[in-house]
Amino acid sequence: MKDRSLSIRAALQLAPTIGVLLFVFVLPTAYFFVISFWRVRAFKLRPEFTFDQYRQVLAEFSDPLQFTLALASVVAIVTVLIALGFAYFCRFQAGPAGPAFIFLVLVTLFGGYLTKIYMWKTILGSAGILNTALMELGLIDSPITALLYSPVAVIITLVHYTLPLAILPIYGALRGVEDVPLEAARDLGAGRLRTFFDIVLPQIRSGIVAAFSLSFIFTAGDYVTPLMVGGPNASMIGVFIQNQFGNRLNSPLGSALSFVVIASCMVIVLAFATAMVSVTRSRR
Amino acid sequence: MTSMHRYAWNGFGAAVIGFMLSPLVVLVVFCFSSSPLLTLPIEGWSLHWFADAFARPGFLLAFRNSLIVTVCVGATSTIIGTMAAMALSTMRPGLSVGLMLAVTVPIMAPPLLLGVALLTFYSTWLNLTLGLPTVILSHLVFTQPFVILVINARMASFDHAAVESARDLGAGPLRAFFDVTLPIIAPSVVGGALIAMALSLDDFLVTFFTIGGSNTLPTFMWGMLRKGVDPSINVVATLIMLLSIGTTVFGLRITQYRG
Amino acid sequence: MSALVQLRRVSKAYGVVKAVEPLDIEIQAGEFMAILGPSGCGKTTLLRMIGGFIQPSTGEIILDGVDVTRLGPERRPTNMVFQGYGLFPHMSVAQNVSYGLRLAQVSLPERKRRVEEALALVHLEDFGERRIEQLSGGQRQRVALARALVMRPKVLLLDEPLAALDLKLRRAMQEEFRRIHALIGGTFIFVTHDQEEAMSLATRICVMDRARVVQDGTPEEIYRRPATRFVSRFIGEANFFHGVAQSNVVTLRNGASFSAKVNDGEVDCVVRPEDICLPDQGGCDIRAEAIVENVTFLGHHRQYRLSSVLGDDIIVSSRDRSPDIDVGSTVTIGWRVADQRIVSQ
Repeated sequence: MKDRSLSIRAALQLAPTIGVLLFVFVLPTAYFFVISFWRVRAFKLRPEFTFDQYRQVLAEFSDPLQFTLALASVVAIVTVLIALGFAYFCRFQAGPAGPAFIFLVLVTLFGGYLTKIYMWKTILGSAGILNTALMELGLIDSPITALLYSPVAVIITLVHYTLPLAILPIYGALRGVEDVPLEAARDLGAGRLRTFFDIVLPQIRSGIVAAFSLSFIFTAGDYVTPLMVGGPNASMIGVFIQNQFGNRLNSPLGSALSFVVIASCMVIVLAFATAMVSVTRSRR
Repeated sequence: MTSMHRYAWNGFGAAVIGFMLSPLVVLVVFCFSSSPLLTLPIEGWSLHWFADAFARPGFLLAFRNSLIVTVCVGATSTIIGTMAAMALSTMRPGLSVGLMLAVTVPIMAPPLLLGVALLTFYSTWLNLTLGLPTVILSHLVFTQPFVILVINARMASFDHAAVESARDLGAGPLRAFFDVTLPIIAPSVVGGALIAMALSLDDFLVTFFTIGGSNTLPTFMWGMLRKGVDPSINVVATLIMLLSIGTTVFGLRITQYRG
Repeated sequence: MSALVQLRRVSKAYGVVKAVEPLDIEIQAGEFMAILGPSGCGKTTLLRMIGGFIQPSTGEIILDGVDVTRLGPERRPTNMVFQGYGLFPHMSVAQNVSYGLRLAQVSLPERKRRVEEALALVHLEDFGERRIEQLSGGQRQRVALARALVMRPKVLLLDEPLAALDLKLRRAMQEEFRRIHALIGGTFIFVTHDQEEAMSLATRICVMDRARVVQDGTPEEIYRRPATRFVSRFIGEANFFHGVAQSNVVTLRNGASFSAKVNDGEVDCVVRPEDICLPDQGGCDIRAEAIVENVTFLGHHRQYRLSSVLGDDIIVSSRDRSPDIDVGSTVTIGWRVADQRIVSQ
């Protein structure tokens, strides 16, 4: 009796949250998925089943899709490596300042999405701070124009944006790694690097996978960064998705593109997770 | 540990911190530069970009809209998130972990895809008029997980005997919540609310697709960016940044976040 | 035949703080040595310098004729049982024990054999596949011991190995350590703040206080002939009688005097509670008057607390069943010169 009244109360308390989840996430996503199989005639959606959009995605968008996944892999790997180094520094090398640095990271996480992209645009521009500074120092004679409007600019901007997202889960995992087992490994004959790979890495695997997933998925689904700093050679899939809802009004194609991106992300994240597991498996 | 090692690590740490902070520092500095060109060296200092930004048509409306959205999202997601966290704390671990995972899925989704899915859903299926209400509703889905996570973490070390003694002394469940539970977990509730507000204030992508014709500060800034580089953008950007960083820092202080 | 472990003028300073003052210690093969002292005395720093986890500020460490002062822990023939054990949480028991052998590139069959042998030695034969979190504190302790012993270290280092265990388990593990040392021989050095543990395990005790070695000897020597007031107080219980030494004659404050070879100045006369006769039955060299404050029956002996006429607290333990000593009565106590120890203040 008591249990039942308790669970009814719990259900009532959860209702608004679950309602938001269903109404603002599950239903829209499901509907969005369904319309990827519908047709558009005279700018109107018709509930007629077709695979046309998916055919079109594979036929016309495989280049930007491959480019996007490749760029997202580069961003995610660079981000994870820097994040791993920095989180390791904060946990093991920085002493009492470590948590303060992490606090700083957490604060920059909320530093403004558009703001960060815009700042990289002004920093990397041909009359931007980096170029003028390099010229003042006499390191270069004329501005490096290739800095802005290039895949490199997209990578720098997105690494900067996703870095805090990657540092936090890795640092969280590193906090669970105790010091004494690391000394024990040294005592048993492992050098510093060996200790890191044999003892530290297996224990922070889930943090690294989380960091990789967050940076990869965010990059693969971004469109403002390529639009602002990417230039014509950085046509990422997000730009095409956004186009279907801006001027073209072809939501089935936009939807099909979105789900192809999500499916590719899942495959790559899963592959990365599997690779991490096999790399860090303990042997006898 | 040799000193070479130590220098290398400290240099690396400083480089990463510099990389993360420099754009934000540069931005704030340029707000006060008198020159319209965003180049070094800075020739003089001025506040006239602030006047420019505030005088721009639509700015004050966008500012007001941002405040409305932020406050409504903060209040709503805090109330429903707190209720949900209370319910989760009474459940058996397997079920509560499962529910928690389900609620946090939306924060893993790329914001662009969430935005276009919601746009399609609202305008094609439901024929809703887009505006601030749809923005507020949409923001709830990615702010409520943070409120729930923060309060749930607090509830893990909560002493349920305090509530039971209140009940034993004659308080009803609601009375016990407001007299005992809420005062004890208040810092986490406020902290969760502030994090939700910071996320809402900073959001561009979901807002952009669900707001229809009006503007919040980020979409207003986007409009300025599309027109070309103008130093009063710096002021708008700094405003967004300071508001969201300010709420975050305050929120983290209150919840005594440690790493 | 030179000693297995030689520390020559080894010291450690952190800035101006001296963790270990320069010291010389030689440890022979087969010794079971305790480094005993209160917390903060530098004993763990000393052990960690032998293990290679801390670089000494001065001096050199020779292990089996090789100067290892500059070598990291992974290149020394020592292995350590850590305080808190330091087991690898993501590996099974067998993986933990075989890790060091794998690093040393021991072949798989040989590795398996030695891991089984080591687990059998600590009575954990059937625990190889268990995960660490499934083990109790005592079992974790044994895994840590097996993981170090499987390497066949020239010196086994143990850092407060029993501190985390409850009293009963601690006794059982002490028995295990004694058995294993007797079985495999080897040289063990362990750090402890527990004098009882040091006395019951070690063949040799090195007492440290405030970054210095204050006494180094067998448990019996240290108990019978404490070198300083600190040692006599730290190890076992002791009574102190103040006095002044002049021209090899010590005069206690109550007037009793005897001859002893000590430097002139203030001294303490240290007498163990079981060496005091209560009451004096004529066999004593030195006597004093005291009032009985209370008596506690402790099974195999009685403990008396007295206060001397001069106000000193005195503890006496006696196995005599003399029932005619009443609380509040004044008695004459005494001890023999051979049982006392004179330490300078």
